[in-house]
Amino acid sequence: MKADARLRDLLRLVLATPLRRRFRAELAWVLVGVPSHLLVLLPLLLATAIGIGLTPIFLGFLLLGATVFWARALGGMYRGLARRLLGVRIVAPARRELRPGLWNWVRARAGDPSGWRVMAYVLVGLPLVLAELVVAGMLLLYGLSLLTYPVTWFMFDDRGAPVFDIYSRNWLLTPAFALLGLVVLLATPWILHALLGLDRLLAVGLLGPSTLSERVRDLEQSRATAVEDATVKLRRIERDLHDGAQARLVAVAMKLGAAKEEFEAERLDVELLHGLVNSAHDNAKQALVELRDLARGIHPPALDAGLGVALSTLASTSAGDVRLRVDLPRRPPPSIETIVYFSAAELVTNAAKYGGPGPIGVEVTVTGRALRLAVSDSGEGGASLSPGGGLAGLADRVRTVDGRLEVDSPAGGPTVISVEIPLPT
Amino acid sequence: MRVVIAEDSTILREGLVELLTMRGHEVVAAAKDAEQLRAAVAAHRPDVSIVDIRMPPTHTDEGLRAAITLRAQSPGLAILLFSQYVETRYAAELLADRAGGVGYLLKDRVAEVSDFLDAMRRVAEGETVLDPEVVRQLFASTRQSDALAGLTGREREVLGLMAEGRSNTAIASGLFLSAGSVEKYVTSIFGKLGLPPSDGDNRRVLAVLRYLDS
Repeated sequence: MKADARLRDLLRLVLATPLRRRFRAELAWVLVGVPSHLLVLLPLLLATAIGIGLTPIFLGFLLLGATVFWARALGGMYRGLARRLLGVRIVAPARRELRPGLWNWVRARAGDPSGWRVMAYVLVGLPLVLAELVVAGMLLLYGLSLLTYPVTWFMFDDRGAPVFDIYSRNWLLTPAFALLGLVVLLATPWILHALLGLDRLLAVGLLGPSTLSERVRDLEQSRATAVEDATVKLRRIERDLHDGAQARLVAVAMKLGAAKEEFEAERLDVELLHGLVNSAHDNAKQALVELRDLARGIHPPALDAGLGVALSTLASTSAGDVRLRVDLPRRPPPSIETIVYFSAAELVTNAAKYGGPGPIGVEVTVTGRALRLAVSDSGEGGASLSPGGGLAGLADRVRTVDGRLEVDSPAGGPTVISVEIPLPT
Repeated sequence: MRVVIAEDSTILREGLVELLTMRGHEVVAAAKDAEQLRAAVAAHRPDVSIVDIRMPPTHTDEGLRAAITLRAQSPGLAILLFSQYVETRYAAELLADRAGGVGYLLKDRVAEVSDFLDAMRRVAEGETVLDPEVVRQLFASTRQSDALAGLTGREREVLGLMAEGRSNTAIASGLFLSAGSVEKYVTSIFGKLGLPPSDGDNRRVLAVLRYLDS
């Protein structure tokens, strides 16, 4: 029985692979790759050559800077293609810090290693993808020719197919050819997938932030974000205390002070005293509420019991209809729990505000070595990571723990915003 | 007294209005920010204004800056600044025009209602009233200064109480001294700080200012 099931699984794997999305995507990668590399490579080489040729005059540097800058932007395109078609997610290299001045611009741009690496990627990638196209085309053609040979056998006068020297004198042998063709066709996706491993390596190596200095810059930036974030948070807490609980307590003291002095009067004005004490009591209760909210904003107590408990508390107090699914094999470190919790809180608030009346999905899972939080809504979509926006701020904060935030929000919805944070091994 | 209040926290603003009204004062205007404060002072010419230091839009020192401009336009305009924090820089800036009629109290002081109202009255009458906490911090920050080095411990105590706006009688009862010995300490302080008797300047204010300058 068990062996049967395993055989069935294997058979399904072998037979279904050519029809799977992965094969189609990889085929598309090879097909799109050749023209895209070609179209990009020529102008890149030309502009670089002219730029270097013109370096005796300033214009050359300017052209070079612009070219490398353009190459860097192209890196984004290739990263997108690789993500969609190859299924590899590559983090964008850190932004160059720009100082004012044209010369500084040129220096930062022309000396941007990530731009030059994109050029190297295009240069090395073109022959690779060309070879892959040829291999994939040949395999498919060969396989199809063999597969159809039992039928086409009758069509050729000399009984030989016009490609690959396929020839059989006797028709009875042709089914064997067809069988071989089937095997070739079934094997093609695997061969292509293996070949594209080189593309993956190349893309990860040259399109991501791989040099140590970039990693350092990335860390410096995210550390600055972390410090700034902490400062902003502290300032907000101070403001909340100042405007909230502290003001309430001053009011309490004021009312009780007035009441205390009222007691020393010759004739007690009970009504006045009652009003003062009542109002002091109200203010004291309100101060308690505000202090509790503030404390929860600093560190939600439910988080001590785990992310699942904290998120279900969050879900139950949220304005929207939150459908929560938490699937964690073990507890992540507290710092990651905290950042995931606050990310979820912010994303759920956003979803409740902009995401329409439908349910809000919150999912926490572990994929590979990363924790993944996905918050989805069925609203109108159109959310984006615009600089300075709330999502960009969240992305920056997530980056402080080497995580990243992705927005998938086509016009018309649905919106899925996911946060992925690597877990320590 | 006719009072203008400038306070952005609704709770405190309403609380102050209620309190002052209860004690027989007239709150002619309750402003929410520095802009409204300027308009209210221009319109009502109050006997005294109670001004929160932190107000919108930046929540830093709007109230203080408004107070300084208002007093630059009409010197001696009585203003009692009201804050949840002590910052000696604020006190220094406020007292820099040396015209009297200013106060700087922590919001906590409102709990002792009569003392608070008394401070407000003294400011309205042109005295300088500083919160004991403000004075304590001024002492702390000027401990090493030369100008005050010559003062004895007792004289510093007396100067501290003067800075809070206490009269000689109040200082005497506070320190369990006779009015005569307080008078002697005060004269000695003036002498050590180089403040000769004169008609125009309020020497007590000038003595306090010596702390801030040194």
